[in-house]
Amino acid sequence: MTAEKELEQVILTRIVRLNARIQGVVTGLIAGLLLFFATNWLVLKGGYRVGPHLALLGQFFIGYHVSFLGSLIGFAYAFVCGFFVGYAIAWIYNRIADGRQRAG
Amino acid sequence: MDKPPIVIIGAGPAGLAAAHELAAHGHSSIIVEKLDKVGGLARTENYRGFSFDIGGHRFFTKEEEVNRLWRELLGPEFLRRPRLSRIYYRRRFFYYPLRPLNALAGLGVWRSLAIVLSYLRWQLFPHKGEDTFEQWVTNRFGRKLFETFFKTYTEKVWGISCAELRAEWAAQRIRGLSLKTALIGMFRKPPATIKTLIEEFDYPRLGPGMMWQAARDAVERRGSSVRLGCEVISIRRRGSAIENVLISNNGHQEALSGAEFISSMPVKELVEKLDPPPSQSVIEAARRLRFRGLIVVCLIVRRPDLFPDNWIYIHDPTVKVGRIQNYKNWSPAMAGDGSKTSLGMEYFATPGDGLWSMSDGALIELAKTEINRIGLAASADVEDGCVVRAPEAYPVYDADYRSALATVREFVNGLENFQTIGRNGLHRYNNQDHAMLTGILAARNIALAERNDLWSVNTDSEYHEELLVPDKAIEEALARIFTRLDRTAFAAAVGIVCGAALFAATIALVIKGGDVVGPNLSLLRQYFPGYRVTASGSLLGLAYGFCAGYIGGWLFAFLRNAAMFIYVARAYRRAQRGLLRRFFDYL
Repeated sequence: MTAEKELEQVILTRIVRLNARIQGVVTGLIAGLLLFFATNWLVLKGGYRVGPHLALLGQFFIGYHVSFLGSLIGFAYAFVCGFFVGYAIAWIYNRIADGRQRAG
Repeated sequence: MDKPPIVIIGAGPAGLAAAHELAAHGHSSIIVEKLDKVGGLARTENYRGFSFDIGGHRFFTKEEEVNRLWRELLGPEFLRRPRLSRIYYRRRFFYYPLRPLNALAGLGVWRSLAIVLSYLRWQLFPHKGEDTFEQWVTNRFGRKLFETFFKTYTEKVWGISCAELRAEWAAQRIRGLSLKTALIGMFRKPPATIKTLIEEFDYPRLGPGMMWQAARDAVERRGSSVRLGCEVISIRRRGSAIENVLISNNGHQEALSGAEFISSMPVKELVEKLDPPPSQSVIEAARRLRFRGLIVVCLIVRRPDLFPDNWIYIHDPTVKVGRIQNYKNWSPAMAGDGSKTSLGMEYFATPGDGLWSMSDGALIELAKTEINRIGLAASADVEDGCVVRAPEAYPVYDADYRSALATVREFVNGLENFQTIGRNGLHRYNNQDHAMLTGILAARNIALAERNDLWSVNTDSEYHEELLVPDKAIEEALARIFTRLDRTAFAAAVGIVCGAALFAATIALVIKGGDVVGPNLSLLRQYFPGYRVTASGSLLGLAYGFCAGYIGGWLFAFLRNAAMFIYVARAYRRAQRGLLRRFFDYL
C-alpha cells in the first residue's frame, strides 16, 4: 500500500485516541482561567455585594471567595477539577473506543 | 575499457542516458536504433531546414541528476522559454491552464450560467458511483464544464468514449494528488520555483534532438558506438540468460553479443522477438498491452508570425486535430527561414484506424483544411508539409493493462542479464526525464551492482510540479489531526463524567447538610424533573447527568467529525480542481 493510501486509510477509517494527560491539562487550564477571570471581573466591577452567585462555588471549593486571593484559590480548584474531568473523559473514551474496536 | 560491451536497444532518452552512465563507470556499449536518428519518441525531425519536435517536449525535471546531465550536455544551448498555451473550443480561445474568469467570459453569459447551475446540480446530486472518467469529472465540475473542456480532447487523445474510460485512469493520471498532498497544501504554500516551472520551461535551441545528438557524441567520445537504422530481428536467449541480439541493417544481419542487455523497445515487441519465445500466457499478456499513436503533420506556412502560443489544445469536435504546435515559439531557431512559420498539427490515432491509414498527401490536405477552419492560417499560405508517425507514442492504461503488465513484468524480471527501460520498455507513461532516470538506474544496476527497481521509477512528480514531499512526522501529525472521534465512545465518556460529577456534587451537599440543602443545585429540577438534592436524588442526578452528557458528547463528536470531513473533502476537491485545470498537460 502506498503512503498516500495509508494516510487516506488512517483519516477515513481510524479512530482518534486522546492523550488523557494533555486533555486533562488543557481542560484544567481552561476551567482554571475561566474561574480566575470570572472572579476578577466581578472584583473589578465591585458593588454592594460582590459576585453572590459565583460565591456559591464556595460550597464545593472550600476557601474560595470572590476576591483576588479567591481567584487564585479558584484557579487551583478549577484546574484540579478540570484536569480530572478532562483526564477522565479521555481515559474513559480511550477504553470504550478500544473495546468497540476489538469488538469489531 | 576492456570490459565486454553492453548492448542497448534503442537510442532514445533512456537508452542514451544508460550508455552515458555506463561510460562514466568505464563500460562501453553498443546502442542499436531502428530509426535513422537518435532521440526515439523525443527526436527532432527536420524538413527543408525546419525542425519539428514530435509531441512538444518541455524540459523541466525534479530529478536533479537528470537536470545536471542536461546542462552538462547542452550548456548555453539550453534556452529558457515562456509558456503560453490555450484551448480552442467553439471558435474561441481559452487560456490554459484554465482561468475561471477568462473561461466564463469566453463562453458567454448563458453558457456560463448553465455551467454554474450544472456545477451546483452535480455538487448536490452527484453520480453515486464514480466508475468512469465522465462520472468522475462531472462530479467535480458539473456536466456542462465536463462537456466543454474535458470530453472532446480526452476522446481525441485516447480514441475511446469518456463513458468507457475508467475513472481509475483519471485518478491515476493525477495520482500525485493524494489526500496527503492536498492537506499539506493547505498549510504550506508551493515554492516560487513551481510557478516558474508552469510559466516557463527550458528548451534546446534546435529542439530536443539537439540534446540527444549531444548525448550520442558524448558516449561515442568515450568509446561506445551508436548504430542507426538497425532493426532488431530477434533476441536470443538460453533459458533466462540473453546470449545475443540479432539485428538487420540494410539486409545485412549481425548478432551482437554482450555481457548485459538493456532494451527500451516496447515491451510488447520485446516479448514477440524473444527466441525461444516465452510461455503462451506471457505472449498473450504482451498482446493485451496497447498503444495510441501520434501523427504529426508538419506544415510550413508563408507567414512570419501566426499566433503567440507554444501550443494550442483543440477541443473543438468539428476538427480532428488534437493539438497544434508552433515550433517557432518553442525556439526561433526551429524555423530555418524566419519569414515563415512551422506548425505541427497533431492527430491522435491508433495504428490501423482510418486516420492512421490515410496517405501523407491526404493528411496534409486535411491539416491545411483544418488550420484554415480554425482560423490560425489560410490554406493558401501553407506552402509545404510532411508527415511523421509515431505508432507507439502513448501506452494505453485501459482496464486490462495492469494485469497484463504484471505477467510480462514477472517474466522480464526473471531474465538474468536483461533490463527493460524507458516509456515503452516499461509500458509506463514516463516523460523524458523519468525515462532517462530508468536508463541511469539500469546502468548502475550493472556498473555498481545496485538493485534499483526500474518499474517503480515514479511518474507522479512530473505531473505535479507542485507536489510536496512530506516527511513521516507530517504524516503522523496529519493522521492525528484528521482522524475521527468515536461518537459513541466520546458520548459515553462525557456522560459518565457528567453523571458522576452531578452525583458527587449532590452527595457532597447532602453530607454537608444544613437548614436548606443545596437550594441552588436543586434548581436543576427545572430541567431534570424529579431531581432533588437528596441521597436518592443523587442517583437520579447520576442518570440525568449521564443522559445530558451523552447527548452533548455525541453532538460534539458528530459536529467535530462532520466539520473535519467537510474541511478535508473541500481541501481535496479544491486541490483536485487545481490539478484538473492543467489536466491536459498530463495526457
